[in-house]
Amino acid sequence: MLKLLLAFLTLTLPFLAHSFSPDHPTDRRVLVLLDDLAVKSSHSLFFKTLQSRGFDLDFKLADDPKIGLQRYGQYTYDALILFSPTVDRFGGSIDLAAILDFVDTGHDLIIAADTNASDLIRQISVECGVDFDEDPSAMVIDHTSYAVSDSEGDHTLIASDDFISSDVILGSKKIEASSILDNAPVLFKGIGHTINSENSLVLKVLSASPSAYSANPNSKLSSPPSLTGSSISLVSVVQARNNARVLISGSLSMFSDRFFRSKVQKAGSPDKHEKSANEQFLTELSKWVFHERGHLKAVNVRHHKVGEADEPAIYRINDDVEYSIEIYEWHGKSWEPYVADDVQVQFYMMSPYVLKTLSTDKKGNYFTAFKVPDVYGVFQFKVEYHRLGYTSVALSKQIPVRPFRHNEYERFIPAAYPYYGAAFTMMTGFFVFTVVHLYNK
Amino acid sequence: MATRTLGALVVLLLAITICEAASVFHPISDSHRSAASELFTQGSFDSLEKAYEALRSFEVLGIDKPDIRGATCKSVVEKLGSSESAPKDLFYALKVNSILKCGVKKEVLEGIASRLKAVVNGASSLLDIYYSIGSLVLIKDQTSEVDVLLADADGVFRSIKSLSQSDGRWRYSSDNPQSSTYAAGLAIEALAGVVSLASSEIDQSMIGKLKRDVSKLFDSVEKYDDGAFYFDEKVDQSPLSTTASVVRGLTALAAVTSEKLKVPGEKILGLAKFFLGIGIPGNNKDFFNQIDSLASLESNKVSVPLILSLPTTVLSLTKKDQLKVKVGTVLGSSAPPLTVKLLRAFSSGSKDASIIASQELKFDKESGYHVLDVLPKSVDVGSYIFVFEVVLHDSEDETVYTTGGLAQVDVFVTGVINIENAEISVLESDKSVETQKKLDLAGENAVSLSANHLQKLRLSFQLTTPLGHAFKPHQVFLKLTHETKVEHIFVVGNSGKKFEKILDFLGLVDKFYYLSGSYDLQLTVGDAVMENSFLRAIGHIDLDLPEAPEKATRPPSPAVNPLLKYGPKAEISHIFRVPEKLPPNHLSLAFLGLLLLPLIGFLVGLLRLGVNLKNFPTSAVPATFGILFHVGIAAVLLLYVLFWLKLDLFTTLKWLGLLGVFLLFVGHRILSHLASTSSKLKSA
Amino acid sequence: MVKPSSSSSSTSQDALALFNSLRSAYSATPTALKIIDLYVGFAVSTAIIQVVYMALVGSFPFNSFLSGVLSCIGTAVLAVCLRIQVNKENKEFKDLAPERAFADFVLCNLVLHLVIMNFLG
Repeated sequence: MLKLLLAFLTLTLPFLAHSFSPDHPTDRRVLVLLDDLAVKSSHSLFFKTLQSRGFDLDFKLADDPKIGLQRYGQYTYDALILFSPTVDRFGGSIDLAAILDFVDTGHDLIIAADTNASDLIRQISVECGVDFDEDPSAMVIDHTSYAVSDSEGDHTLIASDDFISSDVILGSKKIEASSILDNAPVLFKGIGHTINSENSLVLKVLSASPSAYSANPNSKLSSPPSLTGSSISLVSVVQARNNARVLISGSLSMFSDRFFRSKVQKAGSPDKHEKSANEQFLTELSKWVFHERGHLKAVNVRHHKVGEADEPAIYRINDDVEYSIEIYEWHGKSWEPYVADDVQVQFYMMSPYVLKTLSTDKKGNYFTAFKVPDVYGVFQFKVEYHRLGYTSVALSKQIPVRPFRHNEYERFIPAAYPYYGAAFTMMTGFFVFTVVHLYNK
Repeated sequence: MATRTLGALVVLLLAITICEAASVFHPISDSHRSAASELFTQGSFDSLEKAYEALRSFEVLGIDKPDIRGATCKSVVEKLGSSESAPKDLFYALKVNSILKCGVKKEVLEGIASRLKAVVNGASSLLDIYYSIGSLVLIKDQTSEVDVLLADADGVFRSIKSLSQSDGRWRYSSDNPQSSTYAAGLAIEALAGVVSLASSEIDQSMIGKLKRDVSKLFDSVEKYDDGAFYFDEKVDQSPLSTTASVVRGLTALAAVTSEKLKVPGEKILGLAKFFLGIGIPGNNKDFFNQIDSLASLESNKVSVPLILSLPTTVLSLTKKDQLKVKVGTVLGSSAPPLTVKLLRAFSSGSKDASIIASQELKFDKESGYHVLDVLPKSVDVGSYIFVFEVVLHDSEDETVYTTGGLAQVDVFVTGVINIENAEISVLESDKSVETQKKLDLAGENAVSLSANHLQKLRLSFQLTTPLGHAFKPHQVFLKLTHETKVEHIFVVGNSGKKFEKILDFLGLVDKFYYLSGSYDLQLTVGDAVMENSFLRAIGHIDLDLPEAPEKATRPPSPAVNPLLKYGPKAEISHIFRVPEKLPPNHLSLAFLGLLLLPLIGFLVGLLRLGVNLKNFPTSAVPATFGILFHVGIAAVLLLYVLFWLKLDLFTTLKWLGLLGVFLLFVGHRILSHLASTSSKLKSA
Repeated sequence: MVKPSSSSSSTSQDALALFNSLRSAYSATPTALKIIDLYVGFAVSTAIIQVVYMALVGSFPFNSFLSGVLSCIGTAVLAVCLRIQVNKENKEFKDLAPERAFADFVLCNLVLHLVIMNFLG
């Protein structure tokens, strides 16, 4: 099935704007830019995990003069991996603006920096919302949370397990039945960065411990370093408003085979883990970055009056409305129903008049019923669903609401019965009078 | 040019990140073996070249894989039997056969040999000659019954030599002007093969020229800072494959020439370090190149490199770790008898005089390590550079092996740092002490202090190494965190052993954004060689700072937990407009009843008045009209009622019109009749 | 006319005397006119009851209130007009045939009732 899909996609490649389509959001063609082709061999395990999931990796040197993201105005790749921390200038038609355009059009990006990261890589990261330490010789050092090692004694090899708590981004560890992991930490050796806390699009996925700091290990500190503690982020992700996802890591060696295979023992803890969590962590994270998880689509918005099946063009105030929507999540190969209990719909005109949580049948259907307010105007059924790690769902459907027609009020008002009675008695009296008046003698 | 330096930089980076340490190389170990099993996982291989790569790697590493034999041997026999196979296919088939020993028939080999000889004599491309010569050499090794010797070995030698360049590199063929180091490796290997296949002795002067070419080639070798040597080619081949090719060529040549090749041992050792420094490559070809080259170097005839490695470069004074050194071959086999001396050791930061005297390490036969039982007493915590010297016992071994002379290794000596006399106090502006509290920085503390902006806070403690010297850790931070999560970090300075930090709040008022309140105190002390680095909460201090003036900078807003931004919002339900309060139904109904009273009163009054209908016309026609008139009025009134109930105005008016005409007519008749009767009565 | 003797009982006696004279004078009116008077009384009392109701509960369906009250008052006015025209002692309307007046009355009432029905809601 997957081969058929791949064959179909490769055949129609020239004709599709990008095979990253709304129906099939996972990326397929990935351009990997390297400083040195030896990275292809030393990080082979990571690339293998991608290739085994069906990605088509295209390895090129970062300064290869023939590289380019677009051809004749169409993007030839769905995603970009930059494993070239020291590149000063990309070859071909790739530059800072081209990469930012690439992300702006909804494509995904993985950037790995490292010590001696070039200004270009730092600039790209700044545009994505991540600030690396300006000191070019600084590395993240942690004297209480380092990885115990026979060969690295300067505490720049850090073992961190301060993950973001999000099952969407990191995968549900309970699904992975690998007992060897057991809360193993992730090995990291590189530079740290901070994110602006007011930016709600950037998230710290792996943070440093409170005793970490970013400095040059070979020179003494005279003033406090600018990056300290848990505000140092080792790995961050960005989900842009157009749902493009960017992964930024301060260490290229975190992706290397050596770190994947290494044993870990965190300083101060007696647990010796057979294998670091790097492979699982980065595999799960790459699944999220390439939209194999956490990508929602909301379809089939329907609303109708209770008891009817058609969608009316206009509602009347005080009507009872039923609203339903279907939300699916992409699971790498197919759309599965998305199950959550906090999807809400708003009945909105300038401000929400009604905000209700939708109930679900756990098969992707979300529905609710409510009464149209007694204010008339043009309303919108708005579903704005923003959750950590999920693509944002923002749907709105406009619907006008009219007031009562003159014949939709109560026909006979009980308070007015005496008046009705008066009118009728007068008519009766008049009739009797006409008879009596004419024929009385 | 830029790419070259870039490439070098990056490979250096990779060397640093991939190598176990900048200066320590480790021979092949079990992790290589397990990686090999993972890497070459297929049962049957796409091509014999790939099969050979896998099998050779398994052979070198000593891994046994019996299951691949059947299918591979089948394709070997097929390739060797086919008359269309190119020299390259035959080459790899024979390579696989030499490992698996598939039992190829002598006749097949004879046929191949004669074909190959023809190719050798007529070929013009280096690759064809290489594969053919290589295949012939393999046949020679596998069976002595087939004649593979070359008649015109000199001629072949010359034709290969003709493709060489002045800088020691080779061209691929006479029409291809590009020279390549990789091709040089192939050529040297091929020439070594020619020498071994020569039926008669080859001209020694030509071999001498070849050796000079090899020396020239080695002049162009590149070097890393950590002592690794490699050959690089910009196009087509990676440094690994190029270096592997040269090593294969060199070792092949050394095996067939009687005199030693003049290649400095340092360079051979450097090449070995290059291969070891790659770690575990991730793809088959790289892995094969690494392992095959190391196998060639293990027992080469130029000089066998001996690698000095330390199992651990982090020694702990508390655990009384011993310094262990291992010297062995690249594949991990044991070295000839030798002694390892620790010549000197000095601090990484300063190249001062050595802190220890030169001493020998004891060789422990069982473990194979050279051990220094006890670190010299003068070695305190810190990072050092240890300089080792390897001395071979047997002077003859020096021609066979190369040790690289002196080896410099970065060593970290860690230990527990003593923290004493820790105290925190609040001082008045005239340095007199207001409050003073002792701290136990080995455990938790929770002091509670208070100060105003005119006072100072002083924290002081003493750090000493296990040997009693002063120690300055890399990280000594004092952090104050306000309730609103605003943080301030200070570096605690020292003079000798005493560490002291005085916070003068008067000068810090601005930095603290004039925020008064409770600040949490936290001390972090850490260093690479400090085994007991810590981050401790000391307690809290209530600061009373003056009010912020208008122009003061605002404190940074506290970080918002991103998870809070993404949450469901509170539900809103619309409050409907309350309809006006209407009177209760029964009141309306009561009044409805009340309204009937006047009607009844009217009717009763009429009866009391004694009304009669005497004036009603008696004759038929006027009577009918009369009745019709009143019926018409009633009809109109009923029409009105219907109109109120459900008709619309237009229908009503239509009917009204009709009824009205009728009523007019009828009314006119009856009224005129009544008028005439009353006038008759009057006149009468 | 009897002249009141003392001032204390003069007003009440006057009122009583007035009332009696009014009653006797009224009984002299012809029946036809009495019928019309009765009708007017009926209409006005109905109107008063409606106004009292409105004072109690408020004028919520104001249109219904107006319609009800107007039907009473309107028809009372028309009846008064009819009385004036039919009363033989009125010199101005000597030439007008009472049937003609009655026809007008009926027509006006029918129009009035149409309007009332429309406005009743």
